[in-house]
Amino acid sequence: MAGLKLVHLYKRYENSGKKKSIQNNYAVNDLNLECAQGEFLALLGPSGCGKTTTLRMTAGLEDITKGDIYIGDTRVNDLAPKDRHIGLAFEDYAMYPPMTVYENIAFNLRAKKVDKNEIDRRVREIAPLMQVEDILDTMPVKLSGGQKQRVNIARAIIRRPELLLMDEPLSHLDGKARQAMRVEIKRLINEIKCTTVYVTHDQLEAMSLADRIAIINFGVLQQVGTPAEVYDNPVNEFVASFIGEPPMNIMETKIIKKDGNFFFTFEGSDLNIHVPERYYSVIEDGFKCKMGVRPMDLLIGDENSKGTPERIATFENLGDERRIGIRVGNTLMMLITENERRYKSGDIIRLEVRGEKTHLFDLETGNRIREK
Amino acid sequence: MNKGSKRLLTITQNGLLFIYAIFALFPLIWMVLLSIKSDTQMYTTTFNFTPTLSNYTEVLLKTDYFKYLLDSLIVAGGAVIISVIAGVPAAYALARYDFKKKEDIAFQILSFKFAPEILVVLPLFMIYQTLGLYDSYFGLIWVYQLISMPLLIWVVRGYFEDISVEIEHAAQVDGYSWYQIFFKMLLPLIKPGLVSAALLAFIFAWNTFTFPLLLAGSKIQPITVAITKFLGTDTAHYGQLAVAATVSALPAIIFALCIQKHLVRGLSFGAVKG
Repeated sequence: MAGLKLVHLYKRYENSGKKKSIQNNYAVNDLNLECAQGEFLALLGPSGCGKTTTLRMTAGLEDITKGDIYIGDTRVNDLAPKDRHIGLAFEDYAMYPPMTVYENIAFNLRAKKVDKNEIDRRVREIAPLMQVEDILDTMPVKLSGGQKQRVNIARAIIRRPELLLMDEPLSHLDGKARQAMRVEIKRLINEIKCTTVYVTHDQLEAMSLADRIAIINFGVLQQVGTPAEVYDNPVNEFVASFIGEPPMNIMETKIIKKDGNFFFTFEGSDLNIHVPERYYSVIEDGFKCKMGVRPMDLLIGDENSKGTPERIATFENLGDERRIGIRVGNTLMMLITENERRYKSGDIIRLEVRGEKTHLFDLETGNRIREK
Repeated sequence: MNKGSKRLLTITQNGLLFIYAIFALFPLIWMVLLSIKSDTQMYTTTFNFTPTLSNYTEVLLKTDYFKYLLDSLIVAGGAVIISVIAGVPAAYALARYDFKKKEDIAFQILSFKFAPEILVVLPLFMIYQTLGLYDSYFGLIWVYQLISMPLLIWVVRGYFEDISVEIEHAAQVDGYSWYQIFFKMLLPLIKPGLVSAALLAFIFAWNTFTFPLLLAGSKIQPITVAITKFLGTDTAHYGQLAVAATVSALPAIIFALCIQKHLVRGLSFGAVKG
């Protein structure tokens, strides 16, 4: 087991017609990232952001334009994929169609000319772990997506890799299988305790699996932190809107001063939200920025509430939670409540905001405006 | 649709297919019939004749017929073998790598099939005379490529494109060299397409007439050209001609029958993207 270190990593695609480089010449741009030994790191970002490219460079399937990759203490830039001691689970499973599941799993050990009995012992050892004992003699075409992914992962871990890489392993599975597999992976990682880099575009996967999450956009690293850190303390608008489902409500706001207090006001709405005092040092009357608040931090007040009366635009009952949409200017602000009451659109509620949970973002850069 | 009209449809479909089958097979049947008639009964259109095998003994035993067959086999077979050796890597490159003018090159290869043979054969004839390729196995194999290679490359390319590139990457991470991956993983996967394309290319090459007619002389005579020898200057031995044609058509027919199940699937597989 070893850690992973990416130092000033760049990737540039020569062919400028490629999709990846429309926004930015670099698919990966000055990426510095460290994954400690035994840590589960998720690379999270929208598609085309360079996370898979990073993974593929780490695996040695893609050339490195500039920068260094260290696995443990070894610089692996010039090593062939097979010499990097990695296990890689592919997005499309990449099963070898003419071989049975058993042979697929054993394929790597056979390449290393491991003794036949030893191969058999290790396949039999890993099969129950991945719950593939029953399908060892099956051909890959007959497997379901979930089974293929189990085999795919079994194949990646049988070589006992220093570093386990997973490239969107759940993206081709449907809802239920995906959730079941997510739990599987969590259990598996707890059991084998391998350093893991996990690429995903699904924030839920990253939040539930990872020790730390690295959020990437347009090839640039935005933030690295534990799930709690990136959720509670996003560095910019992108991270704030990417983490959390439904995403954080982010709205343009103008701050006005009234009776010595500051309030967020919104164009086309009479909603007023008290600005937390910690921001007073960085704002002034008429200051324009964006305000972000998570749906969970909007509350419905009771009859005596001083909250602004607002009309409900949409109401969704999801069983264990209810989502209420309120029109603020021309955006829909989402609110999540566990309140049992069934509303309908048109109802008036008293909207209260946990002011201390609001975030400010710069209008232009999208960076978080922090209290001093 | 009710049962009656469904049945009517089936009957109509089969009836049309039957008519087409007669239309398509009639020349073959006529050829076989001719081959067992004697020269005197050649021009009768009734089926009233005494079958004879004299044409067969005449052609197969008293001429160099098998030498011509062998020539055809060497030339067509050689062309297909070279097409496979050079065409499979070419198809792989066209399917996997991004390089400048890739589509142009692919189209160029296909365009070899556009020009009528008669159009290119004259300049080829002069070039072959100068280079000393005229009337040589090598020269004929070379020109037969024009027939077999494009077909093979285009079919096999489709197969390669259908194989996820991740399979190759997985094998690479597993520690296999490119050659091992190619022979162990990719070759078995493209085999149906490769086999059907190669056999079809062989049939096309086998049946070529224009190229060998003008680019081969007395030394090498593929069967298609040799058949014309039975049309003498004074008399046309239609019976012998028919025997020569019947026997020369056999390999192609046998091949086509053997692979027909794979042929349709093999050639259409690459076209359907799942």
